[in-house]
Amino acid sequence: MGRLSREAWAQRLGAFRASPSAFMAGPEGEDLGRDLLSDLRSEKLSEQTKVSLLVLSLEYPAQLWPDAPAAEAAASSLLDTLVLLPPRPSALRQPLLLAATTALAAGGALGPTSAASRRLLPLLLGLASGRDLGRGFGPASEQRPLQATACECLRELESCKPGLLGGCLGLLRGLLGQEGPVGPVQPLSLLLALALRNTLVTQARAGAGLQGLLVAGVSPAGASPWNWTLAEDGDAHLQPQAPSWLAAEEGECGLAALEPSPEEARELRAAVAQLLDTSYLLTPVAQAQLLWLLGWALRGLRGQLPVLFKTQLVRLLGTAQLTLLHAVLALKAAFGEALFTAQDEDLLLRRLTLAAQHPALPPPTHLFYLHCLLSFPENCPLGATGEEAAPLLLRPQLCRGLLPSLLHDPMALLARLHLLCLLCAEDEEKDEKGQGQSPQRYLGELLAGLRQRAALDGGPRALATLCFQASYLVAHCLAGQPTVMTSLTHGLVRLYRDRPVLAPHFVDLLDRVGPELGEPLRVALRQEVVSRPGKDEALRWHLQMLAKVADRGAQSGTLRFLQAAAAHCTDWGLQQALLQVCRALLRAGVRGGLADLLQALARQLEDPDGRDHARLYYILLAHLAAPKLGVALGPSLVAPALASSLVAENQGFAAALMVQEAPAPIRLSVGPRRAEGPGPVLQLQVEVLEPVYSLELRFRVEGQLYAPLGAVHVPCLCPGRPAHPLLLPLQPRRPAPTQLDVRALYTTPAGLTCHAHLPPLPVNFADLFLPFPQPPEGAGLSFFEELWDSCLPEGTESRLWCPLGPQGLEALVSRHLEPFVVAAQPPTSYHIAIRLPPDSRLLLRLEAAQGDGVPVALRTDDWAVLPLAGDYFRGLSAAA
Amino acid sequence: MAQRAVWLISHEPGTPLCGTVRFSRRYPTVEKRAKVFNGASYVPIPEDDPFLKALLFELRLLDDDKDFMESRDSCSCINKTSIYGLPGGGGELWPVVAFQKNDMIYACVPLVEQTLSPRPPLISISGISQGFELLFGIQDFLYSGQKNDTELNTKLSQLPDLLLQACPFGTLLDANLQNSLDSINFISVQKHPQKQPAWKAGTYKGKPQVSISITEKVKSMQYDKQDVADTWQVDGAVTCKCDLEGIMPNVTISLSLPTNGSPLQDILVHPCVTSLDSAILTSSSIDAVDDSAFSGPYKFPFTPPLESFNLCYYTSQVPVPPILGFYQVKEEEVQLKITVNLKLHESVKNNFEFCEAHIPFYNRGPVTHVEYKVSFGQLEVFREKSLLIWIIGQKFPKSMEISLAGTVTFGAKSHKKQPFDQICIGGTAYLKLHFKILDYTLTGCYADQHSVQVFASGKPKISTNRKLISSDYYIWNSKAPAPVTYGSLLLVSNCFIDIHRLAYHPREVPWDGNHLLNCFSSRTCENLCILITH
Repeated sequence: MGRLSREAWAQRLGAFRASPSAFMAGPEGEDLGRDLLSDLRSEKLSEQTKVSLLVLSLEYPAQLWPDAPAAEAAASSLLDTLVLLPPRPSALRQPLLLAATTALAAGGALGPTSAASRRLLPLLLGLASGRDLGRGFGPASEQRPLQATACECLRELESCKPGLLGGCLGLLRGLLGQEGPVGPVQPLSLLLALALRNTLVTQARAGAGLQGLLVAGVSPAGASPWNWTLAEDGDAHLQPQAPSWLAAEEGECGLAALEPSPEEARELRAAVAQLLDTSYLLTPVAQAQLLWLLGWALRGLRGQLPVLFKTQLVRLLGTAQLTLLHAVLALKAAFGEALFTAQDEDLLLRRLTLAAQHPALPPPTHLFYLHCLLSFPENCPLGATGEEAAPLLLRPQLCRGLLPSLLHDPMALLARLHLLCLLCAEDEEKDEKGQGQSPQRYLGELLAGLRQRAALDGGPRALATLCFQASYLVAHCLAGQPTVMTSLTHGLVRLYRDRPVLAPHFVDLLDRVGPELGEPLRVALRQEVVSRPGKDEALRWHLQMLAKVADRGAQSGTLRFLQAAAAHCTDWGLQQALLQVCRALLRAGVRGGLADLLQALARQLEDPDGRDHARLYYILLAHLAAPKLGVALGPSLVAPALASSLVAENQGFAAALMVQEAPAPIRLSVGPRRAEGPGPVLQLQVEVLEPVYSLELRFRVEGQLYAPLGAVHVPCLCPGRPAHPLLLPLQPRRPAPTQLDVRALYTTPAGLTCHAHLPPLPVNFADLFLPFPQPPEGAGLSFFEELWDSCLPEGTESRLWCPLGPQGLEALVSRHLEPFVVAAQPPTSYHIAIRLPPDSRLLLRLEAAQGDGVPVALRTDDWAVLPLAGDYFRGLSAAA
Repeated sequence: MAQRAVWLISHEPGTPLCGTVRFSRRYPTVEKRAKVFNGASYVPIPEDDPFLKALLFELRLLDDDKDFMESRDSCSCINKTSIYGLPGGGGELWPVVAFQKNDMIYACVPLVEQTLSPRPPLISISGISQGFELLFGIQDFLYSGQKNDTELNTKLSQLPDLLLQACPFGTLLDANLQNSLDSINFISVQKHPQKQPAWKAGTYKGKPQVSISITEKVKSMQYDKQDVADTWQVDGAVTCKCDLEGIMPNVTISLSLPTNGSPLQDILVHPCVTSLDSAILTSSSIDAVDDSAFSGPYKFPFTPPLESFNLCYYTSQVPVPPILGFYQVKEEEVQLKITVNLKLHESVKNNFEFCEAHIPFYNRGPVTHVEYKVSFGQLEVFREKSLLIWIIGQKFPKSMEISLAGTVTFGAKSHKKQPFDQICIGGTAYLKLHFKILDYTLTGCYADQHSVQVFASGKPKISTNRKLISSDYYIWNSKAPAPVTYGSLLLVSNCFIDIHRLAYHPREVPWDGNHLLNCFSSRTCENLCILITH
């Protein structure tokens, strides 16, 4: 693209500024950065236009040069442009320096390997130290402003890469202390203070000392002024260092680790004193920056350093300057008693108190000082940090001028009201009564005045909002004072009586205040609304109000009001409002008269949507139990923005009334076997991850092996609470193992009904074992022999080898087969008879055990059992 | 301490957006730091248009406040400082320092050098006060001396260059932008042998002169009621312009009081004041005034900047308000019957530049008819504005007491034209006095030419002047409720009521000397005695 004229650039810059993202996405976006750099060297453009191009590059480098290589190239180009400027006065040198610095720092290109960085840094340091850089760097008249600008550029680079200038401390001190023709004090002071702060922090973190870095005019021999090693962690040093206020403990800021040697301590003292002594030459805002930096730098360091600030304090306390007083507070927070005695603290508080109300200062300043008062860094704070509170020394007498009146603007009123509430809270604690005007009484009158304004017909909404904000604040701070709450309740009810149109504000207030105000206000407002005749021009607001406050109390009055109101609900909106109240009553569990009302509404309402709604509510009321109803009508997850509220609501119901498929919070397992009773019974252990109500477990067996199983019901299960085992009787049609398919149906604590598929439960062959009735004493063996003989010839006999573990036969039997032993000669011989439902038997002889196993003689009357028994013994031996 | 961005927005009610961004400036190097410091809680600076919308909504400056909107009107959205959180892309932009003055909204976003969640207390953020100071500085620059839109536009167009000087990287170097403008304009060639303050762009060349002007404003709330005490307060500002040669000339100005003058309190000084007597630092309106109160002379040693500056501000409690009045309004069907009585205190200089009583009627229709009688001066009626102005003129009559009585009739209320007021509801009404007295201060405070010490080459010409002007001087209808401050109730409960009325009309007030005297502080008593004996 060719060189652009001034007008074309003005237009282009205007379009860019209107929306940078849109411009960059457009056709011209891509070329902007390149055109800008090339046109800076155009001879056709005026300096003024070029400055405006540079200002743009100062603001939007990330858009113009989106990555580090582009930023590096841009910075090089800017430096080239700077060098090529003719040696006459030019307004471009300063913005070019700023632009190159910004491009490098913001573009992430600053670093030891960046060529542009290696060009820019020595140039800046040369300019900052007032060295003659030759004719190319402009006439002598520009040296001074360029020196200041170079310092600012260095300060910005040091801010972005803390520790970068660690090697320049001595040089900077030397420059600042120079006698005779001197450089600008402010930029040098601020640069030195920042570099000092960063060096102290980074050295402390690295566990290193100051290493003579501070000795004036001296750079450590052979060392580069750029300390990339300190800065190389890059962003890591930018982590909040010690600026955080009260929360940062002494150790946290890390400076305690830095124990300067006596010599280093002397140098440090001298450097700080030097900075403070000339601080009066700085502008007030720069003085404040210096104090913040030094405060951060020195907190936590041992020694007498805080005392150095003392000489500055009286001067600072006298001023009205926001930044200076704020900086004094920062020193107060940093050094506490080391710098401020109790008397000093008192004086500071007094100055702050008067500044918070001084007629000469602008309102935003007052508000900020008021905030400072309530967050004042006390020497001996009581109570929790973080909460706003009146400092101990701030006696009520001091606050007199800081109390709110109706004449204040909303922000000032709320800020002062907060203070008044804090005083009232204290007043209550002290229980000083009688003497003079009590803050509570004043508070009451003030709130009454606010309500009177809010009640003004046609008044702006801001007045109403202010009244409710004040009420909320009072309810928040003075919830524990029943007298205040009572009068607040009465006042608010009166306000509602005067201006029902404020109903949305009341609903909002009720949503946000605690029960101390919320409960009595709810009751009082309900009484207020239902005591009105149903016909009222404010019916819409009454219904909105009632939908919020209606509950089981005063049901008959509420229903009477609604019945009367129904006749006047002629439009859709009113009908919906009326139904909202019904809904609230349904949720609250009102039943009796409500059914009649809903039935009447289902016939009577003009609007079909309203009638459907009423009918739906009636059906819900008639068919659902109270808790389910509550859930069904609970807040819907669906955005209620659909045309018909019935549709929206139905989606809510659908969720509540339908069974939801869910991953089960239930774990089911088979417990120890119970070999008793007429049939096999599975003992189930249930664990839950969340409370589960009305649990129904349904079991199903594939095929016809078992008779259908009944469901198991559990009313309630809670996690962590041991549950009784569940007994599941099995009715096998064949003595075979199987798997049970398990489904669970349950209700969640939120009231939703859920259905879940659980992992299948195995029924093992051994789970079916049942003992024979115990034969009389001594007749065991003959009973067994009788059974043994009866198996043949229909049945079958088999022999198998059962390997034994180290514990031998006795252990095996007692662990697995104990209930079924009919006769035995422990530990060598066992006769075992097992009943297998429905009508099979399995007989075992375990005799003549050898070291590693026992031969098992086995008879059964059912051929099909044989392989299962074989598997069973193999399983036993594997387990052994 | 740095700012991430600055905006100037003109508030234009009635236009589609209700405002325009007149100036904005972003600081990308600061933004980069914000990203690191704020971590996960970082919210980027939005473009101008979304910022404008969000800020105007938050400040309630969009035209539409008809319906309740939770995000704006909820009772828990309480802002107690001029610092806001603006919802926007990906989170809430906080802290946004913003305030409105003269239809212009000033806003900036200071860097917070830590995570924003939980929000750190404002007091711990150095950028907050720096941001305020930057915005105040811009405000002073835009509005000092300019009156019309063209001048404002010229100054707005200078802002980018000025901020390049005063705030090149987002860290404010000088809140006095005029100073930056001067330093662009005269670049000093030679290096000075002496250190030059950063707040002084150059040196003065010419005839040495020092001018000192003291302006006192008096405000008052008068109720004429048994249960509410009247209040009044004086606040003063001392403005200096020192045209002196040399880099750091030293000047000391002393403010003096006559023997029965009222002590100066709550003194705030300019940062150029080099030292301050502790008596000056501690004299405060918070404490009860007694005989031991420091009553001067108040010495202020300082090194002046080039421009005119406010050397100090003070307040004072004078024993009586300069003009005492009562105002009664009785509603009689469509008419209001009003009675006003004003009395100038005999100790006050009876020579006004102007003196007027404005009697507005709010929340009513236009004035259709007025019948009145004034003992002095003349009455002007502004029917559409529902306002009466009683022009009292340059002097009170010899009796020092004047009165107005009349009936005012109103037409039907039409919401658009007549003024609405949130205070003057029902019978609540006020009249407001506007007056100015030249070469006079209520405290008696003056700067003696001979007490001005200047340590600079050449003997300077010293000029001083004084004036008293009224500000917020209200006299409330005594027949209806009126807004009160805590102070006026407190004074009543301490029996301080209407001592000054006693001073005006010693013979008319039932006088239970013992009772009252027990309640006085000795100093008030002394003042009272002085007044009565006059």
